[in-house]
Amino acid sequence: MKKLLSLLIALVAFAIVGCGGGDKKSDGKGEPQVLNLFSWADNIDPAVIERFEKENNCKVNYDVFANNEELLAKIQAGGAQYDVIQPSDYMVATMLKLGMLEELNLANIPNAKNIVSNLQAPAYDPTGKHSVVYTWGMTGIVYNKKYIKEAPTSWNDLWKDEYKGRIILLNDNREVIGMALKKNGHSNNSLNPQEVEAAVKDLKQLAPNVLAFDTDTIKQKFIAEEAWIGTMWTGDASYTYKDNKDIGFVIPKEGATIWADTFAIPKGAPHKELAEKFINFMYDPKVSAQNYEYIGYNDPNEKAAEFHSEEFKNDPMLKIGRENIDKGEWLTDIGEALTMYDRYWTELKTGK
Amino acid sequence: MPKTWRSHVLCAYAMAILAFLYLPLLILALYSFNESRINAVWSGFTFDWYLALFKNRRVLEALTNSLIVAFASTIVSTVLGTTAAIALNKYQYKYKSVINGLLYLPILIPEIVMGLSLLVLFSQAHIPLGKTSLILAHITFCVSFVVITVNARLEGMRPELEQAAMDLYATPFQTFRYVTLPLAMPGIVAGALMAFTLSIDDFIISFFVAGPNSTTLPLYIYAMVKRGISPEINALSTLLMLATIILVIIAQLLQPQHISKKEE
Amino acid sequence: MRNGKLMVAPTVLWLSFFFVVPLLIVVAVSFASRTPYGQVIFDWTLGNYARFTETLYLSIFADTLIVALITTVLTILLGYPLAYFIAQLPQKWQQPGLILVMIPFWINFLIRSYAWVIILRTQGVLNTILLKFGLIDQPLQMLYNEVAVMLGMVYALLPFMVLPIYVSIEQLDHRLLEAASDLGASPFTAFRKITLPLTMPGIAAGTILVFISSLGMFVVPDVMGGAKSALIGNLIQNQFLSARDWPFGSALSIVLAVLSLVLIVLYYKALSSQQGGGKNAKDMA
Repeated sequence: MKKLLSLLIALVAFAIVGCGGGDKKSDGKGEPQVLNLFSWADNIDPAVIERFEKENNCKVNYDVFANNEELLAKIQAGGAQYDVIQPSDYMVATMLKLGMLEELNLANIPNAKNIVSNLQAPAYDPTGKHSVVYTWGMTGIVYNKKYIKEAPTSWNDLWKDEYKGRIILLNDNREVIGMALKKNGHSNNSLNPQEVEAAVKDLKQLAPNVLAFDTDTIKQKFIAEEAWIGTMWTGDASYTYKDNKDIGFVIPKEGATIWADTFAIPKGAPHKELAEKFINFMYDPKVSAQNYEYIGYNDPNEKAAEFHSEEFKNDPMLKIGRENIDKGEWLTDIGEALTMYDRYWTELKTGK
Repeated sequence: MPKTWRSHVLCAYAMAILAFLYLPLLILALYSFNESRINAVWSGFTFDWYLALFKNRRVLEALTNSLIVAFASTIVSTVLGTTAAIALNKYQYKYKSVINGLLYLPILIPEIVMGLSLLVLFSQAHIPLGKTSLILAHITFCVSFVVITVNARLEGMRPELEQAAMDLYATPFQTFRYVTLPLAMPGIVAGALMAFTLSIDDFIISFFVAGPNSTTLPLYIYAMVKRGISPEINALSTLLMLATIILVIIAQLLQPQHISKKEE
Repeated sequence: MRNGKLMVAPTVLWLSFFFVVPLLIVVAVSFASRTPYGQVIFDWTLGNYARFTETLYLSIFADTLIVALITTVLTILLGYPLAYFIAQLPQKWQQPGLILVMIPFWINFLIRSYAWVIILRTQGVLNTILLKFGLIDQPLQMLYNEVAVMLGMVYALLPFMVLPIYVSIEQLDHRLLEAASDLGASPFTAFRKITLPLTMPGIAAGTILVFISSLGMFVVPDVMGGAKSALIGNLIQNQFLSARDWPFGSALSIVLAVLSLVLIVLYYKALSSQQGGGKNAKDMA
């Protein structure tokens, strides 16, 4: 066992020395500029990043977070200095209110004009000066045609008794309560306590029928047919459909939540100019065509259409999103009411 | 000990629990050969994920970071935890209960609270975020686990042996080096294993105290969740598992010579 | 001698700086309030603690305690025999045996949990096998319920029980057991009167590690339980992330820590009053 220990220690020493050398290289002369990027894992085609590194003689540090709330908490507590972050729509609104975002110098990002007009200056960033849409989608009803013969048309269809134990809802208080609000014909940002209470009352009826709440692995659950019906994002529906052709997806008639992931620059970013250069690069039509083919989410870049493959352009799930974009309503930051939403959410989860 | 039916039952029971521990790993290894990128259903056999893994700079960097942080924090926290446990067992302290409380408290605080509060501390104290801050944080949450494990050993240890050494005019250091330490060794090894296990798989605390260029494997894996964890991770886990088992076997094969030398 | 006493100093100093200082910040935050956007305002209120006494939150605490208790008992039942088995192996196989038990835990917990989902889901490995052998006609719904959560908890925390128990069984003096059997004690009596009391420090340490860790779990309820139940770990996590209520989250954490500390002290008190038996056995040798 002593041998094993010394073997391990030798390995560590090796690793530390090896990586110490690596660190020095970047500190050496001819020092390339550094861009600290904070995003989801696998959210950008690595080949695209490599190309940017080469063209601009810089190094991109790609760090990762698992959800918006972690991103906010980390930056609020004084977390590391990032140059480019990728918050979602409602998080942009929150960060704006907290004064955490730099104003973008759009003169440095001429390619931002390539973004389709209805995604420029969306409700969560009304001036459109603090964020640009990276990708977007809508929340709709996903279902499996093997088990559900008649396509759902309304959020009400989730409440059908025959789906008991076969429903999966997104594990997110705003998405779920927002969905119930939409069902009742209200805004998914309702601040009206009566409306929210009524929505929660309906959800408490639905809760016993729910198999699971899940955001991250909902794709796997529908591919493996653990569930028949549920709420899902367009991008995930497209993924799911690739592995299970029985999957159907609809945007209900009452309207639905539309969401976006964005690029933004946090206050105090050490390399703002390079950050803007990077964002501009990402909206170059050819670059973005390559990038979105890789990640498989909606490309907001109008000019990129000619470079996309037929397969990407005809993706049925992404198409449903594009055709229904007018039925979408953004989630905005609801401030104080978040406490109410969170309390109702806890009640729903505990069944009390 | 005579080999009775009782020892057979015990052996079978232990094997069943080992099977319980390894069952998910078998599935995980199996799915590293699955064609589909989303690990949901079996869609065909492929080696592609292993090839992709070796080209994936980011995963390999994360693995290196994880190993560096885990080994460094295991070594330091084992030393800190062991010395504290031995001292507390041997000597009387005026504020023993306060010290004990201090040693136990870190395991009582939820991880997210520890992670956030350490981040606040680091940013106030201008400790840059990176591997160093990760190691500091990991040591902090591992120490208590080592103390408790080593303590479980010391409490059952008989003080007579140390007493005998002292009676034979061993210096306190000699007593410590040749009596206390060897007797405590299984506890120390167990404590170190525990620290390593905690560190290599920590997510929440690491998330908050990591900085640019210090993404660890758990951080990387959790962040992949939104798009679906790539089977490359299964491939990596399978290789790591095999490598560790092979390492243990090699060490075991080297062992007998080692012991026989001692006996001579 | 005084030098020896100072051996505890580095650890105490380390924890004072890296643990007590941040902890004081948490205590301070627990008496603060927050703006709608989650900024902390220090206005010294007891409101966060008062909020905790609402039945909604108390019931979550109670549920969590029950889950933690069952998890602890199950890990003792599973872990003790395993630790015993390793401890009675020939010396040279003990550490490899221990490492063999630990290896699964060096693989990322999230993907191990997902592997359990693949095994247990309706169209999963286990259901397929059961259906094939005609043991069931309908796939069983094994996931997203309390049993699945418990399974995940036990699976995650078993090593924290096995390690300390192994450590104390390994030092057991086998002559005591031989003496007992020479004196006509049945193996069961010998186990109850000698082995169990003498390995109590290991069980105690394992119990504390498992119990406390299970109080803070939040991944298992989400992955294995379908996020349908909320344990205190999830509640605290939510306060810091989605609800953006750091003060309430801090207060919940402090309550949890104090409660755990009280339980530990009571537990040790109960043990030491029982341990007379163990000491006697030792003296007998």
